[in-house]
Amino acid sequence: MLLQIIASGLLLGGIYALLSVGLNLIFGVIKIVNLAHGDFLMMGMYATFFLFTLKDVNPYVSVLIVFPAFVLIGVVVFRVIIKPLLGKAETEVNTIIATAGVGFVLQNLALMLWKSDFRAIETNLTGKSYEFFGVLLSAGRTWTFVICIIVALLLYYILMKTKVGTHIRAVSQDTDAATLMGINVNRIYTLTFAAGIALVGIAGSIITPTFYVYPTVGLYFNTMAFIIVVLGGLGSFTGALIGGLLIGLVESFAGVMASAELAQVFSLLIFLIILFVKPEGIMGKGARV
Amino acid sequence: MKQKQSLIVLGILGVALLALYFLPLIVFAKHILILTLFYAFLGTGWNLMCGYAGRLSLGHAAFVAVGAYTSILLFKEFSLTPWLGMLVGGVLAVVVMLLIAWPSFRFGLKGPYFTLASIAVAEIVHNLLVYGRDITGGSLGLSLPYVPTSLAQFQFDGKGEYYLVILVFWLAAMFLTIKMERTRYYLEAIREDEDAASALGISVNRNLIISACISAFLVAIGGTFYAQYFRYIDPYSIAGFSLSLNMALVVVIGGSGTIFGPTIGAFLLIPMTELLRMSLGAQLPGLHLFLYGILLVACVIYLPKGIASLPGIIKAKREKKALQIQQTSEGVQ
Repeated sequence: MLLQIIASGLLLGGIYALLSVGLNLIFGVIKIVNLAHGDFLMMGMYATFFLFTLKDVNPYVSVLIVFPAFVLIGVVVFRVIIKPLLGKAETEVNTIIATAGVGFVLQNLALMLWKSDFRAIETNLTGKSYEFFGVLLSAGRTWTFVICIIVALLLYYILMKTKVGTHIRAVSQDTDAATLMGINVNRIYTLTFAAGIALVGIAGSIITPTFYVYPTVGLYFNTMAFIIVVLGGLGSFTGALIGGLLIGLVESFAGVMASAELAQVFSLLIFLIILFVKPEGIMGKGARV
Repeated sequence: MKQKQSLIVLGILGVALLALYFLPLIVFAKHILILTLFYAFLGTGWNLMCGYAGRLSLGHAAFVAVGAYTSILLFKEFSLTPWLGMLVGGVLAVVVMLLIAWPSFRFGLKGPYFTLASIAVAEIVHNLLVYGRDITGGSLGLSLPYVPTSLAQFQFDGKGEYYLVILVFWLAAMFLTIKMERTRYYLEAIREDEDAASALGISVNRNLIISACISAFLVAIGGTFYAQYFRYIDPYSIAGFSLSLNMALVVVIGGSGTIFGPTIGAFLLIPMTELLRMSLGAQLPGLHLFLYGILLVACVIYLPKGIASLPGIIKAKREKKALQIQQTSEGVQ
C-alpha cells in the first residue's frame, strides 16, 4: 500500500515537474511571471484531443506537431504582448496583469469554440496498467512519466552542454554582462519564452490520455505549477524537478489520508510558509537556471 | 486633484447618480447600474491597497467570500440582521488580511511574490469553503432565506432600494479614499521607493497594513451586498479567481492609484460586458469575457496608467505640439 502511494505520487510528480519547468525557465531568464501558463497547457490538451479524435494521431506522437506550433505561438505572444512591457518601471506588475489577461482570453476562447463540456480520449492504453513487484502503475501515466523524464533530460543537456544553453544561462545571470559579450539578449528572451510555452504545450499533450479537458482546466494546474516552482526555488531548474516530485508525493499521501481539497490546502500552506520564511533565498536564487 | 476639487466632483457625481434613481428605468438597466456601482465599490476598495501601494493582489475575492459567507451564515443560523453580519464579516476579513499582510510586509514580500501569495490565500479560502460542506454547503453554495421587503433585514423585492444602498456604500468608500489624503501620499511614496520613503520617516509597514485592512473591510462589505442582492453564493463565483481578476481589471483599465479610476473603469466595462452578455451570451458564452481580456492586454500595453491618465497624455501631446510650432516659427524668423 505504501509503495503504491509512493509510486502513484511519483508518477503524478513527474507530470508536475514538466509542467513547472517551462514556467521556471521563463521566470529564471526573463524575470516575468506567466499567469497564463496553465491556459497554454489547456490549449495543448485541446490540440492533442482534436488531433486524436479527428485525425487519429496518437497523443504521444502529437508532441511532434504541438511542439513546433507552440514555439510559434510563444514567439508571437512574446513579440506582441510581452516585449513592449519589458524594461519599464512597472514591468513586474504589468506583465502579471497582461499574462492574466492572456489566460482569460484563452479560457474564454476555448469556451466559445468548444463549450464547457468535459472531454476525454480513449487510447489503447486507457484502463490498462503494469505490475511491478505488486505495485500497479497506470499505463497512461507511466508513459507520460517516461516522456517527462526524457524531455527534462534533453532540456538539461541543452542548457548545460550547448552554445544556446550557455547563452541562456548567461542572460539569466546578468543581462548587461551578456550583452557586452555579444549575446543578443532579445533573441534569447524570445527563444526562452517560446521554449517555455512549447514545454507546457507538450506537457498538455502527454497528460491528455489521463486527464479531462475543459476550458478552465488550466486554473488547477496553474496553482500547482506555481506552488512547485516556489517550493523548488523560482528560476532553479533542478528545484522544479524535485519540487514536482515532492508535491506529487504530498498530494498522493494527503489524498489517501484526507480529502482532495485538504490536500491542496496543505500544499498551499507549505507554499505560503516558504514564501514567508525564505524570501531572500528564493529571490536571491532567481538568477540560476 | 486637490482634496476639495475631488469632493466637489464626488458631490456632483453623487447627485447625478441619485437622480437616476427617480428615472423610470427598465429592470435590466437598473441591474446594470447596481452591478456597475458594485464593481466601482469593490474597485475602490482594491485600489486602496493595490493601486496606491503597488501591491498587486489577485486574491481579493477571498475577502468578498469571507464577508458574504459570514453575514449569510449569521442570518441563517442566528437570524442576525445582515447589517450587523456585514460588520462582523468585515472584521473577520480584516483578521484574514492581517494573517497574510503582516507576514508579507514583515518579510518584505513584493512584486510577483506578493501576487502569488494573494492568489494562494484565495485558493485556500476557496478550498476550505468547498471542504466545509456541512456548514458552507460545499460547491453547491448557500441561498439566502427569503424575507419580504424589510430594511432591517437588508432584503428588498425591488431593485431601487439595492441601488440606493450600493450608492451609499460607494459614496462612503470614495469619501474615505479622498479623506485619506495623507496616507495615499505615503503609499505612493512607498510604491515608488520604499527605502527613500522610510528614510523620510514614513512608517512603511504601518501604512501598508492600514491600507490593506481598510481594503479588506470594504471588499468584505461588498461581499455582503452581493449575497443580499443575488440571494445565492457559491465558492466558485464568489471566491474564484475570476472575481479577483475582474476587480483588478476595473481598476487597471480605469486608472490604478487614482481616486476616480476604479469608478471610471467600472462605468466603462460593466455596462459593456453586461450588454454583450445579454445580446451574445446565449449564442457564444464567453465572448464578453474574451473581449474583456483583449481590452485588458491592450490597455496594459498602450495605456498602462489607465483611462484616468488620458487627459494628462493628451495635454502633454498638445503642449509638445505647441512647443514644436513655436520652435519652427522661431526658426523662420
